[in-house]
Amino acid sequence: MDANPPVRELAMSISNTALTIEDRKLLFTNLLRADEYDRTMYKRMMSGKLLGFYHPGEGAIAPGIGAATFLNQDDVLSPHHRAHGMAHALAKGVDLKPYLAEHTGKAGGCSEGRSSFHMSFPEHKIYMFSGFIGFNFAPAVGYGYAAKLSGKGQVVMMCSGDGSYGQGRAHEAMLMAQNMKLPIIFWCENNGLAIHAEASEMHPMPDISSLADGYGMPKRIVDGQDVFACAEAAREAIDHAREGKGPMFVECKTLRLKEHDIGTPDLIGSTPRSKEDILKQAEREPVKLAMQKVLADGLFTMDEIDDLRTAARAEVEAAWDWADAQPFPEDGEAELMTHVFAPNAEDAA
Amino acid sequence: MTRQLPFIEAIREALREEMIHDDKVFLVGQDIRGAIYPHTKGLVDEFGPDRVVDTPISESGMYGMASGAALQGYRPVVDFMFGGFTYVTFSEATVTTGQQYFLHGSKSNMPLVITAGVGAGMRLANDHSMAIHGTFAHHPGIKVAMPSTPYDAKGMFKAAIRDNSPVVIPWHMALMMDKGEVPDEDYVVPLGKADIKREGADVTVVANSQQLKFALQVAEKLDGEISVEVFDPRSFVPFDMDLLLTSLAKTSRLVIVDEDWESGGFAATLSARVMEQGFDLLDAPVLRVTFPNMPIPGGVLEPRVMPNPERIEAAIRAVME
Ligand SMILES: Cc1ncc(C[n+]2csc(CCOP(=O)(O)OP(=O)(O)O)c2C)c(N)n1
Repeated sequence: MDANPPVRELAMSISNTALTIEDRKLLFTNLLRADEYDRTMYKRMMSGKLLGFYHPGEGAIAPGIGAATFLNQDDVLSPHHRAHGMAHALAKGVDLKPYLAEHTGKAGGCSEGRSSFHMSFPEHKIYMFSGFIGFNFAPAVGYGYAAKLSGKGQVVMMCSGDGSYGQGRAHEAMLMAQNMKLPIIFWCENNGLAIHAEASEMHPMPDISSLADGYGMPKRIVDGQDVFACAEAAREAIDHAREGKGPMFVECKTLRLKEHDIGTPDLIGSTPRSKEDILKQAEREPVKLAMQKVLADGLFTMDEIDDLRTAARAEVEAAWDWADAQPFPEDGEAELMTHVFAPNAEDAA
Repeated sequence: MTRQLPFIEAIREALREEMIHDDKVFLVGQDIRGAIYPHTKGLVDEFGPDRVVDTPISESGMYGMASGAALQGYRPVVDFMFGGFTYVTFSEATVTTGQQYFLHGSKSNMPLVITAGVGAGMRLANDHSMAIHGTFAHHPGIKVAMPSTPYDAKGMFKAAIRDNSPVVIPWHMALMMDKGEVPDEDYVVPLGKADIKREGADVTVVANSQQLKFALQVAEKLDGEISVEVFDPRSFVPFDMDLLLTSLAKTSRLVIVDEDWESGGFAATLSARVMEQGFDLLDAPVLRVTFPNMPIPGGVLEPRVMPNPERIEAAIRAVME
């Protein structure tokens, strides 16, 4: 795989999407926070201290930060599953603690300890996270339709990988969204791989965003390793959707520096992925790239970056301490059965 | 001659030998060349990418493709990785393929196989833990079977591939590395033949896959106190009612264990059939051990609601009272 995926069409119209210095500082800070989170998840999984599985985000956390940092609180976010969506979620203001507690099966977990990796933050307009790839396309049409009806100018950030565009529902959703001019951003984080399958083999066109052409949907392609470029593209698409111009497709060309999920061999087809390729790709690790930029642009000094790192580490460690101190849920079958259906008004009487 | 083989390796042998035996057999799934589970490992090297086909993440496409190829004379095996993913292609997998033979005048065979890893125990929550055998058994025109030992796995996969109707044959992930005797020579375990995995006189326990292991543990534990006959249906559709009635004539008591939801599951169907066909044989009401009707939770909650040896033992004691 090419370590420097060709970027044919960079985010444009800098005018209303341009990032201020404060915006760039915020993006960089969020990137460090997500990076610290992802590293601890990896370590925890490796030492058997995480429930279920973990799909490491290393190399691929910039698109999530770009997509979610400048969403409004009442915009709907549907995170990509990689890193189990927390890069996206923390950029939208979600607290790490209840997610870490969930991933360790604790009572204080965001899904009451019932769900292992499923995040549930409806208070941040993040819903229905599922282990079924492609699960979020059709609901996104519904979020978008509701946004259109309510007329409050909300948008829907619908994030997923290249692989998810194999699902028929992706195409159904694009069709419906474009027909109804719904405020949805189809945000594709193309890391070139889906488990062992290369995007170049599973999709006939080099860019997943070509799919948008068939629906007459505008599209952008960005360097997914560049958190600032991702954020500019997100802003442009968000503005477009918010102004009632309908959906937009944004493809972030990103990478995967680790195996698909911890413990699964890192193969392409049936042959191991070349170590040299991965090392070459690692040169485009997003934190490294962002750091070069912020230093070159004089946004932060090296000392300030160290401080930000330390603060990010402290935030994540404090979240783990909190999660670890939570008790396991006490619910047995009878109690759990009372949570299968939502109560109706008359049930309270 | 026989050898000791792990369960998953027995499935691999069945796939490989049937691919050698019949060049119309091909495998289709996601990441099966690289082998998410070892049952497809190395097969692409031997048979090439036309017969070990990796698809995009397109479950409906993958399954629909298999049905079309089956009508053109091929015998595809569709691998869904996790059982829950079959729900993505529900109409193709249940209605159109299952009803094709009958509704189109008994003219065209539909020889295809659906397989997937299934089962609770990994604390991953519903999407990756739910059962599929009961759901498919509800739909006419589909055979449904699930092996519990390496011997059964190899023989039943072979029978499934040779069958002229759609066969759903999930395998339980908790059994993956279990070892057992597998013959060297070609054999099949016919679909529709149950197996008494342990003889007993006081109570019949119907159980399969992981739950069969639990039932055998309980039977061993109760040895000398209660004599438990452990009945492995092996296949749910068709079901070996004759053997079950023979067993009940001896024991007159029945516990049905099913790692599936209580409502509308296979255990419910079987319980009703026993009422209809074997009521006079029974000395006590039939008891079931199943998942309660809630999404299977992950984490520490899963074992609290999952059928397990304690629940099986409690049901056996209750039915003996
Ligand atoms: C319906 C469904 N089919 C298959 C899978 C197994 N699976 C999990 S992740 C994955 C690859 C997803 O690829 P992509 O969307 O590109 O995201 P990436 O993991 O590469 O970040 C697959 C096939 C699944 N979880 N759900």
